[in-house]
Amino acid sequence: MQDFNFIKPTNLEEVSSLLINYKDKARLIAGGTDLIIALREERLPSNLEIIIDISHLKELDYIREEGGYLRIGSGATHVEIAQNELIKRYAPLLSQAASLIGSPQIRNRGSIAGNIVTASPAADAVPALIVLDSRLVIRKGQEKREELLQKVFVGPYKVNLKSDELVEEIYFKKLPQKAKSDFSKLVRRNAVDKSRVNLAVVAQQNEDKKVIDIKISAGSITPLPQRFKEAEDLLLGEIPTANLIQKTGEKVAEEMMVKSGYRWSTEYKEPVVKSLMVRALNRVLEVE
Amino acid sequence: MYKIVNKSVERIDVYEKVTGKAKYGADLNCGSQLYAKTVYSRYPHAKILKIDTKEAEGLEGVIMVITAKDVPGNNIMFGKFPVLAQNEVKYIGDGVAVVAAESKEIAEKAAKLVRVEYEELPGVFDLEEAKVENSKRVHSEIENNFIEHSHHLLRSGDVEKGFKEAEVILERTYRTQFVDQAYIEPEAVIVLPDPYKIGVEIHGSIQNPYTIRENVATVLGLKINQVRVIQSTIGGSFGGKDESVMLMAARCAVIALKTGRPVKMVLTREESFLESSKRHPFQANYKIGAKKDGSIVAVENKVYVQGGAYNNKASFANWRASIHAAGPYTIPHIKTDIYGLYTHTIYGGAYRGFSAPQMVFATESLIDELAEELKMSPQEIRLKNCLKPGDEMGTGQILLPGKIPAPLEKMIREICRKTDFESKRKKYIQEREGFNPLKKGIGLSCTFRGAGLGGEGIDTASATVTIDIDGSILIQSGLVEMGQGMRTAHAQIVAEVLGVSLDRITFGNTDTAVTMDSGATVASRGILAGGNAMLIAATELLQRLHQQASIMLNCNIENLISENEFIFNKSKPDKKLTFEEVVKECLKGQGLSLSAQGWYNPGPEKLSPETGRGKAYPTYSYGTAVAELRVDVQTGKINVEKITAAYEIGKAINPQIAKSQFYGGILQGVGYAIMEEMRTKDGYLKTKNFDDFLIPSSADMPEMEVTIYESDDPVGPFGAKSVGELGIELIAPALANALYNATGKRIRELPLNLERVLLGKTLKK
Amino acid sequence: MVTKKIELNIKVNNKDYKLLVSPNKRLLDVLREDLGLNGVKEGCGIGECGACTIVMNGKNICSCMVLAGQAEGAEIITIEGLTGPEGELHPLQEAFMETGAVQCGFCTPGMILSSLVLLRNNPSPTKEEIRAAISGNFCRCTGYQQIIEAVQLAAEKMRKGGVKVNG
Repeated sequence: MQDFNFIKPTNLEEVSSLLINYKDKARLIAGGTDLIIALREERLPSNLEIIIDISHLKELDYIREEGGYLRIGSGATHVEIAQNELIKRYAPLLSQAASLIGSPQIRNRGSIAGNIVTASPAADAVPALIVLDSRLVIRKGQEKREELLQKVFVGPYKVNLKSDELVEEIYFKKLPQKAKSDFSKLVRRNAVDKSRVNLAVVAQQNEDKKVIDIKISAGSITPLPQRFKEAEDLLLGEIPTANLIQKTGEKVAEEMMVKSGYRWSTEYKEPVVKSLMVRALNRVLEVE
Repeated sequence: MYKIVNKSVERIDVYEKVTGKAKYGADLNCGSQLYAKTVYSRYPHAKILKIDTKEAEGLEGVIMVITAKDVPGNNIMFGKFPVLAQNEVKYIGDGVAVVAAESKEIAEKAAKLVRVEYEELPGVFDLEEAKVENSKRVHSEIENNFIEHSHHLLRSGDVEKGFKEAEVILERTYRTQFVDQAYIEPEAVIVLPDPYKIGVEIHGSIQNPYTIRENVATVLGLKINQVRVIQSTIGGSFGGKDESVMLMAARCAVIALKTGRPVKMVLTREESFLESSKRHPFQANYKIGAKKDGSIVAVENKVYVQGGAYNNKASFANWRASIHAAGPYTIPHIKTDIYGLYTHTIYGGAYRGFSAPQMVFATESLIDELAEELKMSPQEIRLKNCLKPGDEMGTGQILLPGKIPAPLEKMIREICRKTDFESKRKKYIQEREGFNPLKKGIGLSCTFRGAGLGGEGIDTASATVTIDIDGSILIQSGLVEMGQGMRTAHAQIVAEVLGVSLDRITFGNTDTAVTMDSGATVASRGILAGGNAMLIAATELLQRLHQQASIMLNCNIENLISENEFIFNKSKPDKKLTFEEVVKECLKGQGLSLSAQGWYNPGPEKLSPETGRGKAYPTYSYGTAVAELRVDVQTGKINVEKITAAYEIGKAINPQIAKSQFYGGILQGVGYAIMEEMRTKDGYLKTKNFDDFLIPSSADMPEMEVTIYESDDPVGPFGAKSVGELGIELIAPALANALYNATGKRIRELPLNLERVLLGKTLKK
Repeated sequence: MVTKKIELNIKVNNKDYKLLVSPNKRLLDVLREDLGLNGVKEGCGIGECGACTIVMNGKNICSCMVLAGQAEGAEIITIEGLTGPEGELHPLQEAFMETGAVQCGFCTPGMILSSLVLLRNNPSPTKEEIRAAISGNFCRCTGYQQIIEAVQLAAEKMRKGGVKVNG
């Protein structure tokens, strides 16, 4: 276990000024389910001086509806998200994703922002949030800036947040009533396992069954979480057919290979991603 | 009718466990104790050029750093394991130094400050290399990489003749992986300098106290009687808490003697995975010949077993493998050769089933492949060939009716009927071509298992039973409780014999200073050998009590009965003595001893070294299982839906505990079959903790239906034989066979993970 | 670096404690080492196996995944706190004994505490709900079969008898 001092500020303002003072010598802890493992394995830089606890801050622990948006405090835990009625209604795939993370114990502690800033390619909440077009509210001192979620990822386990910044909120537009969404996950073990592949889809069709909105993201198959735009473009504006859905699945697999290169697992993942994508699309789209 | 035996009584150690009061190794603390931490090798194979301990020793709170040169006696223990590597590291888990400090935090820091200079050397990392490689040897004192005494053979009939008679011949190779026992409690020991004489007292998560006692004595240059080993409550072991704990005990003992202070060492999960034994990987090459009617005429096999850098189990495990290598079938011509090989990798040891899960995976997959070739059903081919009463086994041993049960035929028929095996199997074959990517499959397997050690070693065990003045009874076995419920079964045996209630009985943890060397708690011998020792001790005490009671009741001793806490003359049952009355009279009235040591000695089993034939085991247990699964043929994901299993175990001393052994064994079998794997690459261990070594969670358990068959087997106490290991070995082949039924694809390598199931081959990271 | 010990106020098994602990201790270490509550076990140190499960503020969590300081002000239940004032066993403990749900016993405290949280929120869980609720508590001995039976039995006992002890 690495050495550090521990501080438990009473409010967000205090957290912000501590971050400004300590910069990269400080780390925030919320659920701790990733950070404590890193501390135990002594993977954090040796200039670490202080761990700032934010797990108790009520200011960061909320899920609310505001206008057409859902706003989630960065400290909201996976279990809170999984069980929240607003999320179940307006972003059911996020509820599904959160309910599949780790174990009950991990879901009771782990926070949504933790899942984001750890930036594991296998994070479950991230693809779901990406297809919801989520934005982050990032705070530094009194200042706030916003960023589209996928923009913060710069590499596996790397985000481009400054050391004096913190994620305060994640928000996204409620899904329209007619939109459908889906989150699915392939694992080796049925609980407490990281995704081999996870897929998130949001789709909407008009009365003629024409696809008027389609967003696809996936975890564990690309170094950076992102949308699969080329695949989306195949469907957008079209009336889906079985054949088109097949093609879209193939396109996602193809994009995966372009983005990740050929890896030891590609031979496996290529057909699997395709099949799982086809299944996911069939769950959210009405096919001609 | 038994009063206590054959009843599902509550475990006698369960109160302590549900209240959190039971102390495990890591829960023990002694004033002024030191905390020890091992510094492990950085390379799978390297010359040690220099070990610089100065910086570590300079850290405040560090009391001592030891290396191989500090070992006062023999640095090399059973199986060539060095207490600490000297001159050369032979695998990634070798210890090179141990630091002892005032706190575990300091020990952890200091371990990082020990500077070791290495010269990296090329190594032998897999079976293929180890078989042919003579230039890169793991142990320079032998000519090749074959583990000493690990070649075991069986020669029965004439295989050449057999294959000439055969109308169908198949040749197949099956492979299995390294897996960890994955007990949830990591290893822990605490070693105290003996306060009264030169010597040490060792407590901890110890499966085999006597091996540790003997080895630590040699390491310290002391006599066996100067080392005392007392087991703590053990948080699971399954064969595993052996070599690693021996190493820990030896290292801590050296420091304890040098410093005069207690020394505690608790492994992290990563260290436990690194340093503890694994199930041996097997490469099993088989050739089988049969007639068109399905009768098997010949089996020939060459099996290679990966032993790792050091090994003290292959010579035993391979012997068991040689007996079981042709499966539970009557086959006239058998030629078996099993070889163990050293590699610069993590090492093989004991894990529930020993070598059986690997062999049963091979033989029970093979028999299904043969059935397929012959267009027979898996049930039919097994019924045709399985061992039946009066049959001669490959070893020449005859399954004499009334002496050794052979119930497989009935068991296979009944399990197939119960699971609707034949019609489901046919239906699932038809559904293979269907549109739905979720395919169902059903698979069968069966096994026999030699009870106890048999010809592997002398199967003796001891038990001490003591009755005190208040009528309370203390039992202590030379074999250990590690969760399997042995202690409760022993208590039931003693209570049954003495005719008293169970609540009189408590247990003492195994203590080498109290009970005689009973060997290792392995081979499902806890009841067979350990229970027989209890039976002998209790019977001896009953004799003494009856002797006294016959005087008190003025009757013939043969007429006495002990039952329900009373001792009485069966022809005059109205006058009863209480158990306490008689105890009191024995101890206080007459000054008799009411402590007895039971010693069970079945005598050695002798086999011919040239052919491997002879009486391998006194008796056998049997099992059969049907696995039902659902597989997603687009992802390779298997969901195990149901395991139906039946086991013939003689008599269940405690049916509830026996069943719980089977449930646990079955789920371990599921893990072994579909998800568990300790991956190594070029000698480095890639699987470091439970996030990567996946064991089944409650979300992975199938529905389990277990039936126990009882028989009158005369060998064990009250007819009980072996339970612990039977559960695991049937599952991997039953699942591989079910997978074939679902997909038409045969996978011959474990685990049946996503990649293998989808692609039919192994992807290398 | 020089670190400063932190003050920690926690309520464990209905008793208040004021402790001074090293900042890099985990809650698991505090419970085991400072309070001697050895019923809390360490199996993996990375929040996978669930052996260190405790109930904190009503939720089951892995105590290896909480820094000591994060527990400030928390209410904690460990297995030692489950028995009543006169030593009466909790229905879960009784049920685990009766159904044969215990073998080596190392996972048992965590298993019982995860089950406790389940039964507080859901007095009549289905088998599937029990399986999900204990999916973060690994047991290598039992195959979970009799554990699930035990939780079902405990639920029945608690529904019938009301809860007398700390459940």
